[in-house]
Amino acid sequence: MTQSPQTRAVLMLAQVMLALFILIPFFWMLSVSLKPATEPFAIPARLWPADPTLENYVTAFRPEFRTYFLNSMIVSGSTVVITVTLALLAAYSFARGTLLILSGLMALVVLAQMFPHSAIIIPIYKLMRAADLLNTYASLIIAYVSVTLPVAIWMLRGFLLKLPISLEEAAAIDGAGPLRIFFGIVVPLARPGIIATAVYVLIVTWQEFLFALSFTSTQDMRTLPVGLNDFIGQYGIRYGELMASSVMVSMPVIALFFFLQRYFVAGLTAGAVKG
Amino acid sequence: MSTQNRWLIWIFLAPTMVLMGVLLYYPMIGTVVESFYDTSFISPEPRFVGWAVYEKVWNSRQFPQVVWNSVVWTLGVVLLQNLLGFFVAMLLNQGLPAQGMLRALVLLPFVLPGVVTAILWRFMYDPQLGLINSLMIRLGLVEDNAAWLASSDTAMAAVIFVAVWKGFPFSMLIFLAALQSVDRSQLEAATLDGAGPWRRLIDVTLPAIKPVILVNVVLTLILTFNYFDIVWVMTRGGPQNATHIFPTRIFETGFGQFRFGEAAVYGVFSILILAVLAALYVIVQKTADGRRRTA
Repeated sequence: MTQSPQTRAVLMLAQVMLALFILIPFFWMLSVSLKPATEPFAIPARLWPADPTLENYVTAFRPEFRTYFLNSMIVSGSTVVITVTLALLAAYSFARGTLLILSGLMALVVLAQMFPHSAIIIPIYKLMRAADLLNTYASLIIAYVSVTLPVAIWMLRGFLLKLPISLEEAAAIDGAGPLRIFFGIVVPLARPGIIATAVYVLIVTWQEFLFALSFTSTQDMRTLPVGLNDFIGQYGIRYGELMASSVMVSMPVIALFFFLQRYFVAGLTAGAVKG
Repeated sequence: MSTQNRWLIWIFLAPTMVLMGVLLYYPMIGTVVESFYDTSFISPEPRFVGWAVYEKVWNSRQFPQVVWNSVVWTLGVVLLQNLLGFFVAMLLNQGLPAQGMLRALVLLPFVLPGVVTAILWRFMYDPQLGLINSLMIRLGLVEDNAAWLASSDTAMAAVIFVAVWKGFPFSMLIFLAALQSVDRSQLEAATLDGAGPWRRLIDVTLPAIKPVILVNVVLTLILTFNYFDIVWVMTRGGPQNATHIFPTRIFETGFGQFRFGEAAVYGVFSILILAVLAALYVIVQKTADGRRRTA
């Protein structure tokens, strides 16, 4: 559609304001993280440091931070692998099965997406305590897999429903067994959906806070979000280090997101806007 | 899948059903059971007390405040996030230069981890060191160092603003996909009939994407009501409980004070509220599907 030059100017201005609204906080985070401790950021502050330095990053990358980072990688990585595997199996059953009871079960999956984590956390905490799993990776991984499964199944089912069933039927006529059809045909074809779901699960678990805060009690088991939250108390005024840690926590998900954005956006919007 | 392979369906489903049953559905019932027991730090052994904890919570001063805060918080965030998301989706659907780059850029806040978002904005709001006061003083908008998060008059608005900043990209994404699916020939026909941009928006675009708008609103209602990290890290429900919503209140009573019974009562109330929202979601989704089928 063609716009008048005036309309175009107004719209361009709106785009610039939108970019500023999004980027100013990110710019500020980077700027403060690069500021040497000697340079004040009190009012009137310089917007960008005169001598940018990485010293805040070096200090912030202390042993505790490395432990949190490793814990987060273990917990998020395991969750992604387990959730995507289980969700793919379940989604395949939901997408291809014709039994009436399956649509009832799918409704239970959709309903479970909406459960408030804060409202179910106490019984889950008690279960973990009874199983002697509190303050372990397992408690977090089990909880994360459970809460990410419903959305993952829903996303993958959407993808599988769009795959042509004729390929599977042809393979069956050729005598391929059900497992061979699943691993040889369905899994490779569903790859974009698998990537989108994996990115979604990673973004969710990398920042999960409530379960991590409630289930871990010692420093060596903390994940990044909880560790970062602890830093506020310990290094409250040292914003340079706090911002450097924040940048390091955010980098992995932001980088991954930009690499795999195409898949992810398709995955999120496929379910919400059908047809 | 052929009939003799039905067993495969159940083998594939078994792990998911066990996990969801034990860790999602059982805890749902567990919370209701828990709410009839009294537990405290001093007497950690649960004691059955019937409706006593409900009475205690119902008559407490915090309860109406938490309900009111949750209403303000949820409606505020949902309304602003979807309005902003809609207008940005419209803006980024005009075929302007740099549009593709902006579409990717806009998603940044959505990917930024919640705790990082909260810490970053806590710092932005800092009375002495924060960028907001720094900019506002330079522009002459405020004279003193306003303590946005420490004053019970501004804390809720400040936290809502952050949630909108982080949440509007999600709404935008869904709206943009919907806008792109609007029938172009209808828009062109309206233009030929002499309809300006506003008429086209009201007569063609809005009716076409109405189902998506409704689904989006109900979905964000549920997500916002359940929010925990941003509020907890920014204010811990303070000052003077001004930003305590259901999730923060449950965490504080449950894991801060180990009063599980009381936390469970708040949990049951939030389950009831969400049940209403979930029912709304199903109805909205059904009508949206129905309309799509008849269209």
